[in-house]
Amino acid sequence: MSGAEQREIDDRDVGIETFVERAEGYYAPTFERVQRGSLPRWHVNIWALLVPWAWAAARGVWLLFWLSLAIDVLALVCLMQVVKFSPLLAEAQLDAAANSTLVARYSTWVTNYGWAAAILFIGGRFWMGSSANRWYFSQYSRWRIDQAVPSGVDMKRLILGLVIVAIVAPLTTYRATQLRLDERACFNQMRAGEAVGQLMPSYGAADVTALLTSIDADIADMQTRFDALDAIDGRTEAQNAERSQLRRDVRDLSREREQVSDFQTISAVDRFDCAFIDDFPTLARLDPPADVTYRRVPNEDAIAQGDEDATKVIAQIKDPVEGRKVTVFTYSAESIDIGINKLRAQYAGFFDAMTNVLRQSLIRVEVAFMQTPWPVVAFLFLALSWAFAGKGTTVFVGASLGFLALFELWQIAMQTMALVVVSTAVCVFVGLPIGIWMAKNKYFRWITEPILDVMQTIPSLSYLVPAVAFFGISQPPAVLATVIFAMPPMIKLTALGILQVPESTKEAALAFGASERQLLRKVELPMSIPSIMAGLNQTIMLALSMATISAFIGAEGLGAIVTSALGDANAGKGLLAGIAIALVAMMIDRILKGIRNSFSRI
Amino acid sequence: MSVVELENVWKVFGERAPEAMKAIRADGIGKAEVLERFGAVVGVKDASFSVEEGEIFCLMGLSGSGKSTLVRHINRLIEPTAGTIRIMGEDIGAMKTEQLRATRADKIGMVFQNMALLPHRSVRDNIGFALELRGIDGYTRAQAADRALETVSLHGYGDRLPSELSGGMQQRVGLARALAADPEILLMDEPFSALDPLIRRNLQDEFLGLSQNLRKTTVFITHDLDEAIRMGDRIGIMKDGEIVQIGTAEDIVTAPADDYVADFVAGISRLKLVSASKIMTSVDAFAAVNGNVDLSAGCPEAAPDDDLDTLVGLSTGSDKPVLIKSDGAVVGIVTKDTLLRGLQGGEST
Ligand SMILES: Nc1ncnc2c1ncn2[C@@H]1O[C@H](COP(=O)(O)OP(=O)(O)OP(=O)(O)O)[C@@H](O)[C@H]1O
Ligand SMILES: [Mg+2]
Repeated sequence: MSGAEQREIDDRDVGIETFVERAEGYYAPTFERVQRGSLPRWHVNIWALLVPWAWAAARGVWLLFWLSLAIDVLALVCLMQVVKFSPLLAEAQLDAAANSTLVARYSTWVTNYGWAAAILFIGGRFWMGSSANRWYFSQYSRWRIDQAVPSGVDMKRLILGLVIVAIVAPLTTYRATQLRLDERACFNQMRAGEAVGQLMPSYGAADVTALLTSIDADIADMQTRFDALDAIDGRTEAQNAERSQLRRDVRDLSREREQVSDFQTISAVDRFDCAFIDDFPTLARLDPPADVTYRRVPNEDAIAQGDEDATKVIAQIKDPVEGRKVTVFTYSAESIDIGINKLRAQYAGFFDAMTNVLRQSLIRVEVAFMQTPWPVVAFLFLALSWAFAGKGTTVFVGASLGFLALFELWQIAMQTMALVVVSTAVCVFVGLPIGIWMAKNKYFRWITEPILDVMQTIPSLSYLVPAVAFFGISQPPAVLATVIFAMPPMIKLTALGILQVPESTKEAALAFGASERQLLRKVELPMSIPSIMAGLNQTIMLALSMATISAFIGAEGLGAIVTSALGDANAGKGLLAGIAIALVAMMIDRILKGIRNSFSRI
Repeated sequence: MSVVELENVWKVFGERAPEAMKAIRADGIGKAEVLERFGAVVGVKDASFSVEEGEIFCLMGLSGSGKSTLVRHINRLIEPTAGTIRIMGEDIGAMKTEQLRATRADKIGMVFQNMALLPHRSVRDNIGFALELRGIDGYTRAQAADRALETVSLHGYGDRLPSELSGGMQQRVGLARALAADPEILLMDEPFSALDPLIRRNLQDEFLGLSQNLRKTTVFITHDLDEAIRMGDRIGIMKDGEIVQIGTAEDIVTAPADDYVADFVAGISRLKLVSASKIMTSVDAFAAVNGNVDLSAGCPEAAPDDDLDTLVGLSTGSDKPVLIKSDGAVVGIVTKDTLLRGLQGGEST
C-alpha cells in the first residue's frame, strides 16, 4: 500500500459525531446500545415516531422513508374509506328495513376499515419509531465503509422528501375518497374536447360561449330554410334532395352543439379526476397511415419482351375512411404492417427460398429421426448417456424413452426433436461467429449486448407474429422463430467465455508467436468450451420450449398435442404431452451436462 | 553486435500518454506531476542497456519498480511510448505483424512471473506450444518436450494438467516451455521466485550450465540480489522505472551509484565478490606509511583477481601482509587492516 493511500485512510473521520451531525448526545449512546444488543424494543426515536418520513428523508434513510410513506398512506386510505362510506351508510339507514343488506354491508366496511386504519397507523408508527435507530445504525456502518452513503442532516433531502410526500399522499388519498370513476364520462369529455377543438377554428369563435351562439345561429338558419322547403307542395327532385340534406345537417350540427355545451358544463372536479386520477390521459389522435397493400403480379411488359417469369410489385392504395383518427399505438402498428407487407412483396423470392431451405433440411432431419428404426435411436440415446453421464442418467433416459413408447408419443417426440436439432444447429452456426465477433470488437459488443438483452425479455409468443408475417405458417417459420428466440444465450456465453480468458494467458501465447487466428483456435476457443457448452445447453432448452409454443403457428410435434388439448379443455391429454416434453428436455439436458463435464477437466 | 539493445525506452501508461510524453520531454516534469496532470503512470523511464551474445543480464529492483514492464518491451508485448528496441540489430518496433510473429516464435522464449500456462493443455502440450505454433509435427514436439522436462527434473509429468502441479512445478514447466523451442534469447521474469531454496539452487546451477553450453542470451529478472549476483554477468538495478546502475556484481557492491543501491547491497557478503585488486594498496603507498619493510621473505602471495575469501585464508596463516603479484611483479599489498576494512565495505586506502 502506498503512503498516499495510507494517509487517506488515516485522514478519514468515521466518528459518530461526523455521521449524525446533530443530536450526537442522543445517537452516540443509542448506537452503542444497538451494538451491544441492549436497546429495548420499546425504545422509540421521538422524531421518527412523530414524522417518520420527514426524519428519514432528512437523515437520508431512504428505505425507511418509502416504507413509512407507504404505511402512512395506507392508513390514510383506510381512514378515507370510512369517510367515503359513512354518508352512504347514513343514507341507507334512513330506510333501514328496505336496505337491510346495504346497511349490513356498509356498517361492516366502516368498522373494518376504521380498525385497519387505527392498527396501521398506531402499529406502523410504533414500529417505525422503534426501528429507526437500528436502521440508522446500519446506515452508519455502511457509511464507515463507503463515505458516499448519506450522512448528517440535509435540508435539501428533507425538502425532496416533503415534495414526494406532497405529490403522493394527497392524490392517493383523494382517489380513495372517490367512488369508482365513470370511464365513459372521461371518454365523452375527451370527445367533447375534440369537437370543440375542431369547431373553434372553423367558426372563428374566440371562446366556447361565442361558439355556441354561432352554432345556434347556424342551426336556426338551416331550420328556417328547411321549414320553407317543407312548406312547398310538390317539390322538385332538387328541392327534395336539398331538404333531406338540410335535415341531416341540422341533426349533425345539433349533435356537435350538444358536445360543445357538454364541454362547457364539465365541472372542474371532473376534469381533474379524468386528467390525474383516472387512466393516463392520451389525447394524441393522428390521421392513419395510407392503407397500402403491395402485391406481386406478372410483369406484362417484360413478359411481352420474352421474359416469361417476370413479376413486379404493385401498390394498391385504399381510400381512407372519412374522419378516422387513430391513437399513436394504432398508427405505429399499421405502419409496421404496411412495411412488412412491402418487404414481403419486394423480397418474395428470398423469403420463399429461405422457407424452402429450412423445409428441406427439416425434412432430412425428420427422416433421420423418424425413419431410423426406434431400437437404433433408443440405443444411441442410451449409449450416449452411458458414455458421458453415468449409470443414473442412463436409467433415467431408459425410463423416459419407455414413457414415450408406452404412450405412443415416440414419432411425435421425434418430430419435436428434429425441430430442436435443426434450430440448434442454425443457432450454433450463426451464434458462435457472432459471439466471437462480439468478444473481439468492443463497439460491436456495445451495440449487440442491449439488443440481446431485449431479445431475451420479449415473450416467446411475440416471435411467432413476424415469423408468420414473413414466412407463413407450419414448420419453417417455427424453426426461424425458434432460432431467434434460442440464439441469445449461445451468443452471449460464447462472448463471455472468450472474454474470460485471462489476459496473461493470451499474452503468453502471443509471446510465443501466436497469430490472432492461432490465439483464437488454440487458446481462446478451447478455454471457452465450458461456457460455450453452457450456452448450447440453454439454447437447446429454449429451442425446446419454443418448438412447443410454435404449435400455435401450425408446427407439428408434442406442442401440437398440448395446443389441441388446450382448445378442447382436455386436461389429461395436455398433461401427458406436457410430461413428455419435460422428459425430452431433461434427457437432452442430462446427456449434455455429462458431455460438458467430461470436457471441463480443466 | 549486441543481441538485445534498448535505447532510451520510455513507457507511460494511460490514455493521455503521448501528451504526457511531450510534457516530459519539454518541461522535464517528474513522475508525480505526470500522474497529477495527465493521470498517467510512468512505468519505464529512459531505459537503455544492451545484452551481448551468451550474456546473462540481470534486472533487479523492488516490487513495482517496472522490471516486468521493461522486459515486455523486448518482445513488444508492450509498445514503448518512446525509444527503440533492437533484436540482433533489427528494430522490433518497425516490424510488420508477420515478421514480429516469426521473431517471437523463432528467436525469443519467455518465462512469466505468473507462469501463464494454458490450463486446457497437458504439460507436454504446453511445453510444445511454441513449436506447435511454428508448425512442427507432433512427434518432434513430444520429443523436445520430454527433453525439456528432463532438464527441469519433471520427468514423467508430461501427461498431467497444469492444475495438477504445485506452484513450483508449474514454474518449472514454464521454464521448460521457454527452453523447448530452443530460442536464442530468453526473457525470464522471476522464474525461480516460487521455488524452495534447494530446487532453486539446483535450477540456477542447471541454467548456468545450460546457458554456458548453448550461449543463450538472457535477460533475467529477480528481486533477490543473491540470485542476481549468482546468475548475472552484469546487473541492472531499477528503481521507480529507472535503471539507476548497470555493472558487474563487483562493481555494484564496491561502488554503489547511490544510497538506494548502497542500501540494497549492504547486507551482501563480500567474501566471494570482491577481488584483491579492489582493496589492495599500492607498494608506494604502503612504503609511505610503513617505511621500507622487507617484503621478500615469507609473505603469502596472491593474484589480483583472487577474492577476499582466498586472501583471508592466506592472511590467517602468517603475520605478514599478502603480496598481490601479477606476471611475477608485485602490483599491490593487502595488510590485515586493509583486508578487514575491505570485508566491512570500506574504500581501499
Ligand atoms: N497496464 C498498466 N497500466 C498502468 N500501470 C501499470 C500497468 N502495468 C504496470 N503498471 C505500473 O507500472 C509499475 C511497474 O509494474 P511492474 O509489473 O513492471 O513491476 P515489477 O517490477 O515487475 O514488480 P514485481 O516485482 O512485483 O513483479 C507499477 O507501478 C504498476 O502499477
Ligand atoms: Mg513483475
